Amino acid sequence: MNKALTSLNTFFLILLFFSLIFSMFSVPNLNINETQSIKVNFYELIQQDDILFDSSTSKTLIEKETKKTSSTNKKTNTDETSIISKFKINKLDIKNEITKIKLSKEREDILRVSAIIQERISSIWIKPNSLSESLIAKVLIDLAPSGEILNFSLIEPSSNTSFNESILTAMNKMTFFEEVLSLERKLFEQNFRNFNLVFKSSGEIE
Amino acid sequence: MIRFLSLLFFVVSNSIFSILEIEILKGSDNLSKVAFVPFGIESGIEENYGNQISKNIEKNMLLFGEFENLAVNEMLSYPSSENDFYYRDWKVLGVDYSVIGKVNSVNSLGNLNISYSLFNINRRIKILEGEIVGSEDNIEGISKIISNRIYEEITGLRGIFDTKLAYVINSDADTYQMCISDIDGKNEEILFTSKAPIMSPDWSPDRKKIAYVSFENGLAEIFIQDLKSGKRDSIQALGMTNSAPVWSPDGKSLALVVSFSGNPDIFSYSIKNKRLIRLTNHYGIDTEPSWSPDSKKIIFTSDRSGSPQLYEINTKSKRKKRLTRDGNYNARGRYFPDGKSIFFVHGNDGNFQIATKKLSSRYIETLTSTSLDESPTISPNGNIIIYATKDGSNGYLGGITLDGKSRFSLPVKNGSVREPSWSPLLN
Repeated sequence: MNKALTSLNTFFLILLFFSLIFSMFSVPNLNINETQSIKVNFYELIQQDDILFDSSTSKTLIEKETKKTSSTNKKTNTDETSIISKFKINKLDIKNEITKIKLSKEREDILRVSAIIQERISSIWIKPNSLSESLIAKVLIDLAPSGEILNFSLIEPSSNTSFNESILTAMNKMTFFEEVLSLERKLFEQNFRNFNLVFKSSGEIE
Repeated sequence: MIRFLSLLFFVVSNSIFSILEIEILKGSDNLSKVAFVPFGIESGIEENYGNQISKNIEKNMLLFGEFENLAVNEMLSYPSSENDFYYRDWKVLGVDYSVIGKVNSVNSLGNLNISYSLFNINRRIKILEGEIVGSEDNIEGISKIISNRIYEEITGLRGIFDTKLAYVINSDADTYQMCISDIDGKNEEILFTSKAPIMSPDWSPDRKKIAYVSFENGLAEIFIQDLKSGKRDSIQALGMTNSAPVWSPDGKSLALVVSFSGNPDIFSYSIKNKRLIRLTNHYGIDTEPSWSPDSKKIIFTSDRSGSPQLYEINTKSKRKKRLTRDGNYNARGRYFPDGKSIFFVHGNDGNFQIATKKLSSRYIETLTSTSLDESPTISPNGNIIIYATKDGSNGYLGGITLDGKSRFSLPVKNGSVREPSWSPLLN
């Protein structure tokens, strides 16, 4: 009797163990590719919209399409065309949304790299006391994709020589903006191949 | 606020025709590092001169904490001419500027010819080169001239190492001394000693005279003392008491406070024809006048609104304007050398600190962190403020650069130091 009980116990334990293992593997994998998940989300969203607000235009389109077709299996065809027509209408929207998402991601990247560049320049620029003058000077930077500063020039100097000199001194201390390496090449070419640094002094006492 | 603003930047992008612009508002808190290389010497000249000159220049340049230096024993080379100068030797040590020079003899009279150069290491260029001839006895003076030129080249501001300071020392309960010294505290001269209080010294624009208030005859009386002859003249301004004299920048008038029947008002006193012109006439206390750099306006303290506040009066039209509204104590206002901002003593909950205000702005900014600050005076280049403050019962002079990077205190004197007044520049 005891033997039978012990074997039953062992059986349940094994069952428990396997159910645990099974439950672990049945947890959905969340590592979905970012772009995929965005596409899926928007497709889903648009389909939901269509169900909720089935527009009259799509209805007429469906009718037109059905008239043109002369096959026997009318019903299936209507269903198919309706899906196609729905998809046609919304494809542009999806594209637009994706572009928007891409742009905002690009913008985020540009802002991130710009913030690092701003911080690095600020940490080495020894700003002279410009008393109550408000000064602005603009430096144009040519960057290699490696982040190396190929050239810089003071394209719009301020009226204050020591302010200009301090900027040139700071720029001479910089050789690389390696932060741009994290950017997509297209984004680099569009924004960081040539960019301006605008040095400002508010004239306030800091 | 500035930190927050500095984080703001705008991005003009995503268009073929526009270019990304990153805004830089905040500068570094670091100081420029300067290497003062011991000057070389021509054979036959006292060996010590080279070291002495570079040490003097270094001491001057570091006086207000505006620069960082490189210790001589950390230097990789000791060039004295451009031919021996290698930028990489200084770049690896993080140096921003290097000063080199050489002492040569000129003639048997003991005159020296000193050549000097200043290099911007980051830009790899020589930014200053000069020569100066002077006597062996005046090494300190020569060093000050070289320091001024170097300072001007690096900061773009006038060098102030040959300026002077006037102040009052209260060595014991009943001894007051009117003193002047070089800005580094050296060459102190006692102009006048009294058992009664001395107050409010002010330099004439030509630096030849000092006006101050003395109570030696029982009442507040204004004296003008000639620095060369030591001669003292009292201004008999007819009132009961006369105080707070301030020279106009054109040197023609003194602004002062005259009290008729106990009510102090602001007057202008013409030095040439000894005429007194009344500027304010109010039952409140009007005091502590100071001229605008163009000698057209006077800033003064008045309690006409119920608490001490700063006002400005046009000396011609007599039109008045209230300048401060923050808090219930704003006094002893002075203009910055550019006339666009003012600095003053701002009282807040029993703390008295030095504050500044741009005339075009509504806001004031406190500069100092000590709590009993008074009598601020500004360097003629507008970059440094020295003020009297207290450590227990002992008064000393503290200073601050306007970028806030450096705070310092001037060498302690025997006694309480009060009422500092920075001399103008010698033109």
